[in-house]
Amino acid sequence: MIEDDIYRTSSQFRLWSYTESSLKNLRTTTNNIASERVRAALRRARERHLSATPSATGTPQPGSDAEEKHIECLTPEEELVLVRYYCEKTVELGDTYRPPLPTNVRATAIQYLRRFYLTNSPMTYHPKSIMACALFVATKTDNYYMSLRSFAEGIPGDTTPDDVIAPEFLLMQGLRFTFDVRHPFRGLEGGVMELSAIAQGQGKPAPHLPQHTPESLKEGILNLAPPPVPVSSITDRIGRAHGATRELLKSAAQMTDAYFLYTPSQIWLAAFLIADRPLAEFYLDTKLGGPIDPTAMETDTSTLHNPLSELRTKLLKVLGDCAALLQSYTPLSSDPDQMKSLKRIAKKLYHCQNPEKVNLKRDTTAPRLMPAGDAGTVTSESETERLAKKRKLEMESKQRGGHDVFGPELVPDRTRH
Amino acid sequence: MALSPFASRSPSLTVASPNSALRLKASAVPRSTGQAVAAKAQSNPERELTEQLNDDVRRKYTKGHFRDDPSSCVAIKKIKVNAEYKDGLTMDAIREVKYLQELSHRNVIALHDVFSSKDQNLNLVLEFLPGGDLEMLIKDGDIHYGVGDVKAWMGMLARGVWFCHENFVLHRDIKPNNLLIAADGEVKLADFGLARSFADPYLNMTHQVITRWYRPPELLFGAKQYSGAVDVWSMGMVFAELLLRVPLLAGMSDLDQISKICEAFGTPTEENWPGVTQLANYVTDKAVPLQGRDFFLRQFPTAGPVGADLLMSMCVLDPRKRATALQVLQHKWWTAEPRPTKNEDLPRKSGTKKMGDDLARRGGDNDDGPFKNAARQLDFGGMK
Repeated sequence: MIEDDIYRTSSQFRLWSYTESSLKNLRTTTNNIASERVRAALRRARERHLSATPSATGTPQPGSDAEEKHIECLTPEEELVLVRYYCEKTVELGDTYRPPLPTNVRATAIQYLRRFYLTNSPMTYHPKSIMACALFVATKTDNYYMSLRSFAEGIPGDTTPDDVIAPEFLLMQGLRFTFDVRHPFRGLEGGVMELSAIAQGQGKPAPHLPQHTPESLKEGILNLAPPPVPVSSITDRIGRAHGATRELLKSAAQMTDAYFLYTPSQIWLAAFLIADRPLAEFYLDTKLGGPIDPTAMETDTSTLHNPLSELRTKLLKVLGDCAALLQSYTPLSSDPDQMKSLKRIAKKLYHCQNPEKVNLKRDTTAPRLMPAGDAGTVTSESETERLAKKRKLEMESKQRGGHDVFGPELVPDRTRH
Repeated sequence: MALSPFASRSPSLTVASPNSALRLKASAVPRSTGQAVAAKAQSNPERELTEQLNDDVRRKYTKGHFRDDPSSCVAIKKIKVNAEYKDGLTMDAIREVKYLQELSHRNVIALHDVFSSKDQNLNLVLEFLPGGDLEMLIKDGDIHYGVGDVKAWMGMLARGVWFCHENFVLHRDIKPNNLLIAADGEVKLADFGLARSFADPYLNMTHQVITRWYRPPELLFGAKQYSGAVDVWSMGMVFAELLLRVPLLAGMSDLDQISKICEAFGTPTEENWPGVTQLANYVTDKAVPLQGRDFFLRQFPTAGPVGADLLMSMCVLDPRKRATALQVLQHKWWTAEPRPTKNEDLPRKSGTKKMGDDLARRGGDNDDGPFKNAARQLDFGGMK
């Protein structure tokens, strides 16, 4: 069994890896469904409002159809910008704790958010309410456990523990009950350790590359093309590349679709290429052998079909794509244009937020307040949740029959509309 | 008394109610058909609690099958939302779901699916393991087994543990009653309620894990940084228990456990374990010299000299010198005579007898761990 086989059994590969087009399609579908639901919910809200106003009953408003068309929903791209903003906010939130939450925990929370919003829309569940919960769940799943109370106290503003925990189950459903996120951080640490050992002449040559020795590796690393910034020693060089890569992994790798499109090792190697290309290529060469010398190819035909060199070509292409994705990222907060567009999106969301999903706490603490008449239509994007909620509402309406004097009359009334 | 000395086992644990026909209107592939067979509620005030993670978790188990294959069997474990525990889903439930979602191996219990049902209950669809557990076999005086059987069971255990470690997961609760047996005799590692992934270097982990009798000296001494060696020690203890048919080191307290380890294998010192005196809870009362190979040969004659060597390598005091799961698998004992027994020839628990034993178990000997009860439930189901 090789490492790749093990990775393929992970939930990250099985459930959370996509191609660029499948990712796009999924987001479009989610957006379409959510938009329809928002329109339907707003229509119902208006009807309720009209039927509650005596003067309006029985006289359909001629303008209402036109009005409905004017409900402008977010586009998938706008949703993505919004989610990304809250991912950046997650990093900031992690910083408010003393000591700050570990990078791993924050990165896990961000990936939870990104995964959740593949099948749920910010129009249905505002990222603001999901964000804190994602971070709290990440403290639990990444072994950085703190009590809900102290977690909630750490959040600026008046967020209560109930606010934090209310969407937990919803979030977990959106995550399809997979909590493990494979990060690129550990791979980076391993690679840096290997390079440090090589620099000290203690490198371990790959068994399939007999031409390498600890001495030849050391000589190789000392004679590399110069790094992007001047350095005092090879240790300094590795240290700088390490730091720069780590920064990329903490920011660009988190805020882009890197985790959905690439494996953890592809991500850290791509970031490493950005940080110090000659060093990163040297590292790959210690595993895959160097590029094939065209003159040698003429004399030695065996190198023509060298599987390592084929792998190298393929890998460099993938790493190049991944590096381009990472480099495309600029933080929202540092870019006035992006911030302006974000404000516009936030304003737009205010008008197309699904009014039936605003108070998440109802779901857990007082589910009986849910109007049962909406059971069939008001549901989230996820099918399992839809069914779960339907069952819940059925049960509730049964229970209500005997208990709540106000319940039974209203329900048939409302379904008639 | 097997006092489970840690956390997620709570005295107020009420494991399922002995009620009847709990019907899950499940929408996921698996559908419950059978009755909710109850595991009995346990209450053991003697249990030590170091943290309160799992108070009053109510769990229910149901037998089910795949919709497209009525002859298949799965165990559905229902984790109810815990009204007492205010911090959301409990840690042991999270750990169990997290790691079982990732680990797919013949010797690790399979999690087929997770689905939610009404009231935000979590349902784990688990592999159906009707064969009881290794503890039942060890304790059943009517069952006779030989070294070939032990070799087969240990082999399956070692492969399961190796696979966890290969995936950077520490099980942290290996003991005979967490080793469940499938219908075909295969041993499966279960109960991942205490599992975690390896910590990054220099990051701390809790030492309050692993049931005391199976807990390695470094954890008893309070080490906060440790490795897969902790699981290997537990495996060694299971190995010894399979051979002796009684727990090798049944300490009454953590301190007693340390002195039992010292008596058996020798006192940890700076000479045999560099750095041990720096551990937070390092204590020794008397200096017992380190036991050599002849001790293991004498103590475990049934294992044969090669088997004794393997056991010895798993019981090295210094975790850095202890065998890794991979080294255990590479040991020559596995290929030495006698060959491991084939699964179909392994001794089985006897149904009726077993069930009586199970009910007669003392509370303290019982593990309230989730899978434990899942397995027991299956016995009851078979009796109907």
